[in-house]
Amino acid sequence: MKNITVKYGVDSITKQVEDDFTFGDLQESDSFQAALGFGDSTKALVEGIEQDRGTVIPAGTTVRLETAANTKA
Amino acid sequence: METTEIIIRENGTLTERVVRERDLEAGPSVLDALTDEVTRSLRNVLAIPGWGLAHANVGLNDTIWSVPIDHLVLNARFRLIHGVLVPVFTSGTDLEMPLVWRAPKEVRLAFVIRTQLSEGCARIDGNWLFACDQDNRGYRLPLPNLHDDCLICTGNFEDRYDTGGECVAASLEQFRKSKWNADLMRTTEQSQKFFRFQPTNETFETLPIQAADWMALCDKVSTAILERVIL
Repeated sequence: MKNITVKYGVDSITKQVEDDFTFGDLQESDSFQAALGFGDSTKALVEGIEQDRGTVIPAGTTVRLETAANTKA
Repeated sequence: METTEIIIRENGTLTERVVRERDLEAGPSVLDALTDEVTRSLRNVLAIPGWGLAHANVGLNDTIWSVPIDHLVLNARFRLIHGVLVPVFTSGTDLEMPLVWRAPKEVRLAFVIRTQLSEGCARIDGNWLFACDQDNRGYRLPLPNLHDDCLICTGNFEDRYDTGGECVAASLEQFRKSKWNADLMRTTEQSQKFFRFQPTNETFETLPIQAADWMALCDKVSTAILERVIL
């Protein structure tokens, strides 16, 4: 297990997750969604750099989630 | 300049250390690179007639202008349901008129313009509409013509002006006169609980939002643009 901190706007949460927990897992996580209020369309950034969904989140990382822009319907 | 030091280590070994110093040609380009992400916030930069004051967050490559607004002009189609006038953005037949929705004080609206310098003139690079709570959490209003990140689908209008101030004024004028259509529409129910009007003898009065918590009718957002908004 490892700790990660996730920020969405002014809100943040630190939680323990599985060692193989990826950025994609975070973006689809019901518990993080419920705690922080983000939607289905997000991008994950670490120190301003967008991360690939398949990448495992290193222990102790602070992840900033942002609302992703959609295209016109 | 070069200096030589002789170090005697604890085990008796002698080590020579040569230190070379020279001044680097570190001009403005290096400073610009180091401060690329640094921005400065300036309040009350402009007064926009009919809207209020504009604040600016100035970066190396762009400026984010924030105009706190207290109303929205909804050029849309409306329908009377149980004595309450509500928008029906998807309708092609209901009565079309411009109604002014007055935001309650707990809903802090920010109209946002990004400008960039391009070929000697200021260019509008996007308009956003955010609703914020008292703790500066950002939300997407239940309106059509708004992308998930609150970027407004403005339609085409002139985007190059001599100054940033003209860009702000032109964006607000486009926002005021634009018609709201069904593009990017989410649920009609949320819009009709949020934007409600009471017809009176002379005008249309904004009714309270039909929810205990207005945020429940919106989507929470977090974006790099929102981080630079000044309210």
